[in-house]
Amino acid sequence: MLAPISSIKLEFQKVLQFLNAKSVNLAHASIDTFDSSNFYMRVMKNASSVVSHAACNLMGNTNLLLETVSNFIPLSPYKPFGTYVFCTGNGKLVILRNPDAILQLLFYSSQLCREEECTDIAHRSLQQHFGYENDLQESFQMLNEVYLEPLEQLPLSSDSTISDIATINSALNDLGLSTKARLCLCAAGELEKRKTRNKESIDLKKPDIEKAMKYLEEGYRSNCENRGLGCYDAFKLQETHNDFNANVKRLELAGIWDEIIEMLKRYELPDAFEGLRDWVLLGTRYRRLVEPLDIANYYKHLKNEDTGAYMIRGRPKRYRFTQRWREHVEKMPVESSGESCFWAKVEELRIKISSQGFDPIKEEILQLEAQVQNWINYEELDRDVLLEKSTFKKWWEGLPREHKLTSHIKDLMVS
Amino acid sequence: MSQTQYFSNGLELAKFVVNNDILQHAWTAITELCKETSQNEGPSSSVKFRVFELPNYTIIAFFTWPANSIDFVQGNGGRDSVTSSTLKDSFPLFNFLCTQANPNFSINKPAFHLFSSIFGVLPFLKSKIDNSKPLIITGNSLGGSVATLFTLSLFENFKISTTKLPLCITFGSPLIGDDGLQEAISNYPTWNSCFLHVVSDQDPVPRVLINGYKPFGTFLLCSELGCSCFEDPRTILELLMAAYSGCPENQDPNKVFESYGTFVEHLNRKVLCKDTTDHESLIDWTTQPLQAGIITKLAAIGLLRSQPLQNIDINIIIANTARREKAMAILNKQAFDPTRGLNEIKINMAYLEHYKKLSKDEGVGYYDRYKNGIDRSDINVVGYMRGLTCYWEDMIDQAEKRPQTVGASLRTRSLFGGTNYRRMIEPLDIADYYKAGKQDYKNQGRSKHYIILEQLLKETEKPSSGPNELKKQNVVSILTEDSCFWAHVEEALISCKLLSSGESSDEEKDSAKKKLIEFEKYVFDSMKNYAVSSEIFLPRSSFMKWWGKYREITGTSYSSSLTNLLRNDKNYEAYANGSLEFP
Repeated sequence: MLAPISSIKLEFQKVLQFLNAKSVNLAHASIDTFDSSNFYMRVMKNASSVVSHAACNLMGNTNLLLETVSNFIPLSPYKPFGTYVFCTGNGKLVILRNPDAILQLLFYSSQLCREEECTDIAHRSLQQHFGYENDLQESFQMLNEVYLEPLEQLPLSSDSTISDIATINSALNDLGLSTKARLCLCAAGELEKRKTRNKESIDLKKPDIEKAMKYLEEGYRSNCENRGLGCYDAFKLQETHNDFNANVKRLELAGIWDEIIEMLKRYELPDAFEGLRDWVLLGTRYRRLVEPLDIANYYKHLKNEDTGAYMIRGRPKRYRFTQRWREHVEKMPVESSGESCFWAKVEELRIKISSQGFDPIKEEILQLEAQVQNWINYEELDRDVLLEKSTFKKWWEGLPREHKLTSHIKDLMVS
Repeated sequence: MSQTQYFSNGLELAKFVVNNDILQHAWTAITELCKETSQNEGPSSSVKFRVFELPNYTIIAFFTWPANSIDFVQGNGGRDSVTSSTLKDSFPLFNFLCTQANPNFSINKPAFHLFSSIFGVLPFLKSKIDNSKPLIITGNSLGGSVATLFTLSLFENFKISTTKLPLCITFGSPLIGDDGLQEAISNYPTWNSCFLHVVSDQDPVPRVLINGYKPFGTFLLCSELGCSCFEDPRTILELLMAAYSGCPENQDPNKVFESYGTFVEHLNRKVLCKDTTDHESLIDWTTQPLQAGIITKLAAIGLLRSQPLQNIDINIIIANTARREKAMAILNKQAFDPTRGLNEIKINMAYLEHYKKLSKDEGVGYYDRYKNGIDRSDINVVGYMRGLTCYWEDMIDQAEKRPQTVGASLRTRSLFGGTNYRRMIEPLDIADYYKAGKQDYKNQGRSKHYIILEQLLKETEKPSSGPNELKKQNVVSILTEDSCFWAHVEEALISCKLLSSGESSDEEKDSAKKKLIEFEKYVFDSMKNYAVSSEIFLPRSSFMKWWGKYREITGTSYSSSLTNLLRNDKNYEAYANGSLEFP
C-alpha cells in the first residue's frame, strides 16, 4: 500500500498469484524462482518517500521545498489505523497505536543493514508472509509485550541502562532502530500531545459559545416575537438596535467556529474530535440557531449576484462541517440534515419563480414542502417561519391557487 | 503546559529529496550535455545548454567545464560584482527584485557575464516551458549560477497565478549574490523554496566566495556518509567551511565533477539501509530531540569523523545550529495567516454598516456625513477604517509574496470580503482626498491595494446579470458597485465650478463640458443597472449638490436622458423601490 500501483504492477500481480496458492509448499517454491529483490527495492523506495514526507511534517517542517519537490512525484495516500503489533525475531511483541508512528515504524523496521543483503531479505520477507501462524503461537506462549508509550519520551540512544526505559530500549534495539528512526517516533508522539493540548484550549471556549447562543436563543428571539416577525425577517430588515447586536453576536460566534474549523483542516486536533458527542450537539444547536441569520445577511447584501446561490458557493465551511458531523454520528444519509438551509432554498425558489414561472420548478416546491412538514414535526425547524409576516408565508400565499389547495402543508399554513 | 519540543528535519527532507529520481535525472542531463559537448569541442569558458523532455517533466540543463570554474570565479579578485543599479538600464530583467525596503543587491560578475552571453536565447528557452509539466532547471558549477539567474528571471511573471513553480537544482555552484539578493529572495518564501544547491564535501568551488556573499535557498551537503539539508544562511556558511574535506591545491576538477555522479547514485541506494553513523559519544538519554536531530545531521555530512580536520569545536557548532533552527521555526510559525484577525475585521465592517444606516436615517448618506465629520461616531469610524485598511493592505502584500497559498485564497474565499471592504471604505478615502483639496483621485491618489482588489474581481467575475427583481428590491441597502463613484462626483463638481467661474479659459470650459456629459452617461448607465445605492439621492448628498449646480448651469431648456429623469422628484422614490422605468 505504500507504493503507487503503477510502479509495481507487473511484479505485484505475480506476488498475488503466489499468495493465493492453495498449498504452502507450492508457494514457497514459486517464491524461490521469483526475482524478489527488484520488487522489494521498488516498494521500499516508495515507502521511504512516503515516510520521509510524513516525518518532515511531523517535525514541523516549514521549508517550502518539500512542497515544490512533492509536485514532482506521486505519493501513496494510505495511512494505517488501529493497533499494530510488531513481532521482533525473538518473541517480543511491540504494540503501537499512534498512526503516524506506525507508518514510520513500518519502514524503519524493515531497513537493510547492508546493501548486499537486499536479495536475501527480499526473499525472506515473502516467505515470512506465510509464517504468521507459527510465530504468533510462540509469542503468545511467552507473552513478552512492550507498549511503546509515551512516545515523546522515547530514549534516543541505544545504550541507556536506566531501568524503567531499559525494556523499551531493548525492544527498540531488537527492531533495529537507529537514532534517526527514534527521532521520527518521538516526533509522532509530540504531535499527538500537541493535538490534545489544542483540543483542551478549544474546550475553554465553550462557555463563550454558550453565552452568545443564549443571547440569540432567548433575548433576541423573544424580542422578534414581540414584533410579530421571525428571527430571519427581523434580522434581514435590521431595523432596531437589537438586530445590530444580534449581528455582532453572529460575527463573534463565526470567529470562534471558523478557528475550530481551520484547526481541523490543518490536522491540529485529535482524530476523534469530529465524533465527540458534546461537540456534535453544540454544533447542531449553533447551526440551527445562527445559519438562518447568515443566510439573511447573504441575501440582504445580494451576495448571490457576485458569488452565486448560497447553497452552492456561499455556504461557510463551519456549517458544512457541523452538518456532516451530525449526519455521521447519527448515521443519516449525506446532505439529509439540511434544515438550517431552509431559508436559502426559499430565497432561491423566489428568484427562480420570478424568472421562470411556476411550472418548471413545481417539483422542487413539492420537495421543499415535504421537507418542511418533516422538520416542523420533528421540531428541527422553528415554528416562527409560519408567522403571518414571514417571508415564507407571504411567498407561499403568492403561489397558484390549485397548488395551495392540494399542498401537503396547507394545514400548517392555515394555523 | 509543557514546552513545545522542536525537531530538526533537515535529514528527513534530504532523504525525501534524494530518494526520488529527480536528482538522478538532473545529473544525467548534465552528463549527457557534457559528453555531447566534449565530443564536439574542447574546453572553453562558455556555457552550453540543452532542453530535455522527459515523460514526467521538462529539464533545462546548463553546463560549464569544471576546470575553468575556480580560476574564472577567483580571477579578477572574485569579488568582482555587478550591482543592481548598473543593471537597471541595460538589463532590466532583475529590477523587480528591488523594493523600497531593499533597493540594492549585487551579483557576481563572471556568473552574470555567462548569463548575459545566453541572453539572446532566453525567449527560446522560455517558449520551451510547458505549463502542464513541472520544470527542472539545472547546472553544474558556473552553469548552476546561470541556471539560478535564469530561474530568477522567470519569477517576474509568476505573480498571483496558478502555474506550478520550477525547481532549480545546482551541483557545486559558487555563491552568486550578496545580502541584498538573499533578502530580496527570502522575502518571498515561495521563491526561496525553488532553489536546491547540492554541494559535495570535496568540492572547493562553492567555498571560494564565502566573504561578502550570502547563500539563499536550501543547501544539500553531501559526504560519503550521507547528506542533509540546511536553510539558515549563517549555518550554511559555517558548515561549508567546517565540512570541507579536500585541499584546493591538488584537486582535479574533473574528478570532483564525477564525484557528484557517484554521490547521487550512492545516496539514492543508501536510503534503504540503516543509518550506521557513529555518534555514541554525543547523544545520550538526556539529549533533547532538537540537538539529537542536529547531531545526526552533522554526522551525516561527515563532521563527526574521528579526526577533526580543522580547529573546530563541534559543540559550538551544534549549539549555534540549534539556536538558529529554533529561531527560524518560531519565525515561520508566526508567518502570515489570512484567517487571523479576520473576525475582528468582520466586526469592524458591521459597525460601519451601522454607521451607514444611521447616516441614511438622517437624510445625509454616510459619504457626506463622514466628509463633514462632526461628532463622536464619525471619529470612531476612523478607527474602524484604519483597522480594516491595515488588514487588507497586508493581505494584498502577502498574496503577492505567497501566490500559491494566500493569493489563491484571496481569489476565492476572501474576494467577497475584499470587494465589500473596497466598496464601503474607498468612498471614505475619497472623501479625505478631496477634502484636502486634491484632484484626479482615480489616476493619482488611488492606493495600490484598491486597484489590485478591483482587478481581482474583474478577473474572476461572471458576466453581469443585469438588473433583476432581487437587485431592484434591495437597491436601498446595497453598496454602490463602483467604489470610485464619489470620485467621479467630485470631479463633476470641479468641472461645474470651472464652467461657472469667470476665470477659466475657453479650453478649460470645453473640456469641463465634455467631462460632464461623460459623467451624465456614466450615472445613467449605472442607474439603469441598479448599480448605485439609492442613498445618492438623499437630499443633502454631494450628488444632489452637483445636480443642483448642473441644473443651474444648463438651464431649463437642456434635455438629456439623465436630466429628464432627475427633474422628476417622484423618480427618486421609484428608484429606491426598484420600480423606476427607464426610457
